[in-house]
Amino acid sequence: MINNFLQAAIIINILGSMISIATPILFAAMGELVAERSGVMNMGLEGTMLTAAFVGFMVVEKTGSLFFGICFASMAGGFVSLILAVMTISLGVDQIITGLTLNLLASGGTLFWFRMDYSQTSLEKTPLIEFLKSINIPFLSDIPYLGKIIFSHNLLTYLAFLLVPIFWFFLYKTSYGLRIRSLGENPKVADMTGLSVNKNRYIAVVIGGLMAGLGGAFVSIGSVERFFPNMTAGKGWLAIVIVIAGNWRPSRILLATLIFAFLDAFQLQVQSIGVHFPYQILLALPYIAAIIILISGRAHSEAPESLGISYQRE
Amino acid sequence: MTSPRDVIDYHPVLLETKNLTKRFQNVVANDNVSLNFRKGEIHCLLGENGAGKTTLAECIYGFYRIDSGEIHYKGKKVDLTSPSHAVKLGIGMVHQHFVLIRPFSVIENIAISSLEKKFLLDLTPTKKKMESLCEKYGIKMDLNAKIWQLSVGEQQWVEILKAVFNGVELLILDEPTAALTPKEVDKLFVVLQQMKEQGLSVIFVTHKLQEVIKFSDRVSVLRKGKFIDTFNTSDVTQEQLARKMVGRDVVLQITKKRVPIGEPFFELVNLSAANDRGQEGLRGASFKLHKGEILGFAGVAGNGQKELFEVLAGVRKIQAGEILFNGKSIKNQSPAEIRKRGVAHIPDDRINEGLIMDFTVAENLILGSQRDLENRKGIFLNRNQILINARNLIQLFSIVPPTPTTQTKHLSGGNLQKVILARELNRKLECVIANQPTRGLDVGVIEYIHKRLLDLRKEHVGILLFSEDLDELFALSDRIAVMYCGKIIRIFNTLETNMEEIGLCMAGIDGKMECSNN
Amino acid sequence: MFKQLRFKIEKRKHVSSLVQLISLSAAIILSVLITGLLMYVGKVNIGAGFIALFDGAFGSWKACVETLLKATPLILTGLATVIAFRARIWNIGQESQLYFGAIMAYLAYTQFIFLPPIILIPIIILFAIIGGAICGFIPAMIKAKFAVDEIITTIMMNYIVTYFLSLLLSTVWKDPNHYYEQSPTILEKFRFPILLENNRLHLGFILAIIATVIIFLLISKTPLGYEIKAMGLNPIAAKFKGINLIKTMVIVMMISGALSGLAGAGELFGVIFRLKSTISLGYGYTGIIIAMLAGLEPLAVVPVAILFGGLLNGSFLLQTTTNIPSSLVYVIQAIVLLFFLSARAISNYRLRIVANDQ
Repeated sequence: MINNFLQAAIIINILGSMISIATPILFAAMGELVAERSGVMNMGLEGTMLTAAFVGFMVVEKTGSLFFGICFASMAGGFVSLILAVMTISLGVDQIITGLTLNLLASGGTLFWFRMDYSQTSLEKTPLIEFLKSINIPFLSDIPYLGKIIFSHNLLTYLAFLLVPIFWFFLYKTSYGLRIRSLGENPKVADMTGLSVNKNRYIAVVIGGLMAGLGGAFVSIGSVERFFPNMTAGKGWLAIVIVIAGNWRPSRILLATLIFAFLDAFQLQVQSIGVHFPYQILLALPYIAAIIILISGRAHSEAPESLGISYQRE
Repeated sequence: MTSPRDVIDYHPVLLETKNLTKRFQNVVANDNVSLNFRKGEIHCLLGENGAGKTTLAECIYGFYRIDSGEIHYKGKKVDLTSPSHAVKLGIGMVHQHFVLIRPFSVIENIAISSLEKKFLLDLTPTKKKMESLCEKYGIKMDLNAKIWQLSVGEQQWVEILKAVFNGVELLILDEPTAALTPKEVDKLFVVLQQMKEQGLSVIFVTHKLQEVIKFSDRVSVLRKGKFIDTFNTSDVTQEQLARKMVGRDVVLQITKKRVPIGEPFFELVNLSAANDRGQEGLRGASFKLHKGEILGFAGVAGNGQKELFEVLAGVRKIQAGEILFNGKSIKNQSPAEIRKRGVAHIPDDRINEGLIMDFTVAENLILGSQRDLENRKGIFLNRNQILINARNLIQLFSIVPPTPTTQTKHLSGGNLQKVILARELNRKLECVIANQPTRGLDVGVIEYIHKRLLDLRKEHVGILLFSEDLDELFALSDRIAVMYCGKIIRIFNTLETNMEEIGLCMAGIDGKMECSNN
Repeated sequence: MFKQLRFKIEKRKHVSSLVQLISLSAAIILSVLITGLLMYVGKVNIGAGFIALFDGAFGSWKACVETLLKATPLILTGLATVIAFRARIWNIGQESQLYFGAIMAYLAYTQFIFLPPIILIPIIILFAIIGGAICGFIPAMIKAKFAVDEIITTIMMNYIVTYFLSLLLSTVWKDPNHYYEQSPTILEKFRFPILLENNRLHLGFILAIIATVIIFLLISKTPLGYEIKAMGLNPIAAKFKGINLIKTMVIVMMISGALSGLAGAGELFGVIFRLKSTISLGYGYTGIIIAMLAGLEPLAVVPVAILFGGLLNGSFLLQTTTNIPSSLVYVIQAIVLLFFLSARAISNYRLRIVANDQ
C-alpha cells in the first residue's frame, strides 16, 4: 500500500488536488480576514458561499457564459454579506445569530429554488454545465512535477492564491489598510479621525462577501458540472476556523488552508485507490484537525480586539 | 515667568460657549453653560464627578453634538460635527481612557490620527516629525514600541504628541493626572508650560483642588451640569473652590474616634500572582490586618491593586505565597468559600462586577447567596422570603425606588452602590474589602458610606480600603499601605505621616516609574 | 425665528415584551407576504397554496395530531437551545447531539434486546439522554480546558458525528438486506408506544411536554436557573459572586445535549424505526430558530414549535397539491427569523424629532 502512495503520479495528484481544494477556502478566508480585521465576524460565510455557488450555476445554465456566472456569483456573495452588514452594523443584531439565520436562509433558499427550477426528483436530471477549464501556463506547466501541481489550474485558482499577497499588501502597506485594521482593534480611534466606522465596516464586509462569492463560484462552476444542495459542505465554516488558526495573518492563513486541503486531497486519493480504510474517518479529518488546531493555537491570539463588538457613538 | 494676571488681561478669548446644553436621554449633563477660554492660558474645569466637565469637553471636541446653544471659536460661530472637524480647527483632546490602538506602534497610532491621506503607507516623514517634537519637549519615547508595552504615563505622552503633531492650538486634557506619580505630574506641567509659551492654550478637567491651585491661570467651576463661576486662580483658595464645587461647606477632614485595635486575623505572606497579560502583577505582597482596623491601600493605578483585590476576592489565581484567615490558609479558595468565612467584597466597577443590571433589586440582593438555605424552599427558590428580605434591606439602606421588583438598571449610581452595600454588609462579617467604594458618587452618599465603614470598624470588623482618593484614605484609615510594582513597599501609621510622604512613596524610592524585574 | 428640525435616532431604555410580541407578529405578517410572493412566482394560485399549508397543518384531526408529532423533536431542540442561549452559551451542535443520542439509544437497543420492553424502553431513553449529554460535554470541556469557543467546536461536531454515524451504518449496524446505509428495522415491541389510536403520536410527545415543564421550573424557580440567567446576563459579576462559570457551562451543555439526544431517540423509536442519516431534517437548526422566536422562554417554545411543525406538515401537502417544493418551509422559517430579528432591533430605537433653535 505504501508503495502505491509513493508513486510520483499519486503524489502529484494529491498535491494538485490540494491546490484545487484550497481555492474556495482561500477565497473565503482572505475575504473573511478583511471583514474580521475591521471588527465584523461573518458567521454566515457558509450561506454566502452556498448562495454564490447556486447563483453561479444558475447564471451559467441560463446564459451559457462562465464570465457572467462568476461575476454574478461574486455579487451574490456580496449581497448576502450586505444583508449581514445591515443587520449587524446598522441594526445592531447579534453577529452570531444573524450569520446563522443567513446560513439557514441560504440553505433553504437554494434548495427550494433549485427544486423549483430544476428537477424535483433525481440528481441525474440536473443539467450539466460547462465549467472552468484549466489553463496550462506555457513553459511553467512543463516543469516536471511542479508544472502539473502548480501551474495547471484554472483562472479562479490562480486568482485565489494571488489574493494572499494582494490582501497582505492592502492591509499592511496602504494607509487604508491601516485604517481598516484600526477599526477592528479600537473603532473609537477611527471615529475620532473622521473615518466613518460603520461605512468602512460595510465596505470590509462586502469585500469579504465578494471574495466568498468567488469561492462559492469555484465550488460549483469552477470544479464540477452541476449544483447539488449544500454542496459547500462546511467550507465556509472551515474558512472561519482557518482565519482563527492562522492568527489573522495572511501567510499563516495560507498555510492553514493548505494543511486542510492536503488532508482532504489525501482522503480523496485514498478513496479512489480503493484502499479498504474507513473513508468516513478521513472525511472527518479536516473537522477534527480544526478542533485540534484551535486547541493548540490559543496561547498567542492576535484577534482584533473589537471583533464582534458593534460600535455606537452617542 | 509671566504672572497669570498679565496673561489673562491681555489675551483674547479663544473659545466661548453660549448657553450650551447637552442631554442624554433624561439627564441634562450640561445645562446652559456659558463660559470662555482665553488664548495662552491654562484653564481648569473643576467639578465633582457628574458635574458635566467631561461632557463639556467632549462637546467642545465635537465628539458629542450639542442640543442647544452655541460654540464660538476665534470669534466665529462653529457647529462642531465631529472630532476630526475640531482637530482641523486646531482643537485637540486627550481623554481619560486613551484612544490608542494597543497592538499598533506609537508611529502607527500617530499616522492614523494624522490628517494626511496617501495611498501608500509611508511612515518616514511621520517618524521624522515625531522625533523632532520629542526632542523639542525633552520627551523620551521609543517610536517603534507597541502601545501595550508602554507605561500609562508614556501612553499619555503619545496622546499629547498626537494632538501637537496635528497642530493643536487648544488642548483639552481630561483628568490627565489620574494615573501619574507626583513627579510625572510635575513633568507634565513643565511641558505644558513650555507649550503655553509657544502659544498653546490648555483646558484641563479635574476634580483635584491642589492641581488647580498649583498649575492653572483660571478655573471654572461646574456643579450638577450648571456653570457656577470662573475665577483667576490667584484670587481664590482651595476651601472657596471646594465650597463652590459642592454648594455647601465641605468638611475636608472627617474626624474619627479612636478605637482599640484588636489582634491580627488576616495575613498575606509574600503573595504573587500574574496580571491579565500573564506578567507579574503581584510580586510578593505582605500585610497583616487587625480586627477593628481600617487598612488603606494607596498607589498609582497599575501597581498591583487590581490584582490584589481580585486575589482577595478569589477570582485570581495565586502563584506563590500564602493567605491566612484566622490562622487557616484560604489560598486559591473560591469566592463562595471566602464569602462563607465572613468576608465581604465591594468591587469598584458597580455595573460590571457588582450587579446584574437586568435583574431586579431583589434578585441582585441574593446574588452570591442564591443557594443559601434561607433563600430556598427545597430545591426551589423561596420567592416570598426573598422579597420580604429585600424590602427590609431597601428600607434599612434607604434605596430608591423602594420596590424590590424594579430592574436595577433604572437606579442611579448612588442607589446602585447602596444595593451592593445592602447585599454585602447585611450579615455577620469579619472582614470587608472595599475597592473605590465612593467613586463617582455624590457627597451625601459618600458621607453615608464613610459612616457605615466607620461603624463596622467600631464593631471590630477589619477593613481593607482600596482608594485612589488620598483624602479618603487619610480620613478613614488607621494605617496606609503603599503599593508599588506589585509589592507593598511600606505601611504607614496615618497619624504619623502626611500626603507628601505617601506621594513620594507611591512613586517608588527613587521616583522612577519603571518596575525592575528583581 | 426659523426652527431647524433634526431627526434623532435614540436607543430606547427598555424594550417591553409587548414590543417583542409586536415584532413577532410583524415578522409573521411579512413572511406570509413573502410566502405568497414565492407562490405567485411559482405560478401557483396563492389561495390554494395557503389553504394547502393550513390544511396540511391543522385542517383535520389527523393533521393536527401529525403536527404535534412533527413538533415533538422541535420542542426538545428548542428547549435545548433556550437553556444554552440563556447562559450565553452558543450551542449550535443540536444536530450532532440529536444523532449521538439516537446512536446511544440504538446501542442500548442492540445490547439489551433480551430485556422486556417495559424495562428496555426506559433504558433506551436513558441512553439517549446520556448520549446527547456526552455530545454536549465534549465541546464544553474543550472550552473549559482550552478556551476554544463552543460555536466552532459544536459545528465541527455536527460534521464529525455525521461521518461517525455513516461509519457505524456501513459497518457494524448495516442492514444486510439493503444497499443504503441504514440499520435493520426496530422490532415493533420496542417502538415507543402510541398515544392515540390510528395515529403516530408517540411517547416522545409526552416526554417533550414533561421536559418543557422541567426546564421551565429549572430556569425560573431554582438556584441553578438563577445562576444560568446570571451567567448569561453578566458573567463577570456572576463570577465575582461565587458562581462557577465553567462548572455551570458544562452542566448547561450537558442538559442541552441531553434534550437534543432525547429528540433523537424520539425520532428513531417513534417515527423512523431505523437508524439512518436522515433521522433529522434539520431539527437542530430549526430548534435554534424556534428558541429565538420564543424569546428564549421555555413555555413559549411549545406553541412556536407546534406552529413550525404545522408548517412542516403543510409544506408536504403543498408539494403534493401544487408542485411547490416542500423545502419552501425552510425558506419561510429563516425569513420569519430574519424579519423578527430586524423588527426587534428596529424597535430598540425610536425616532425623535428634535428642534434645534437657530
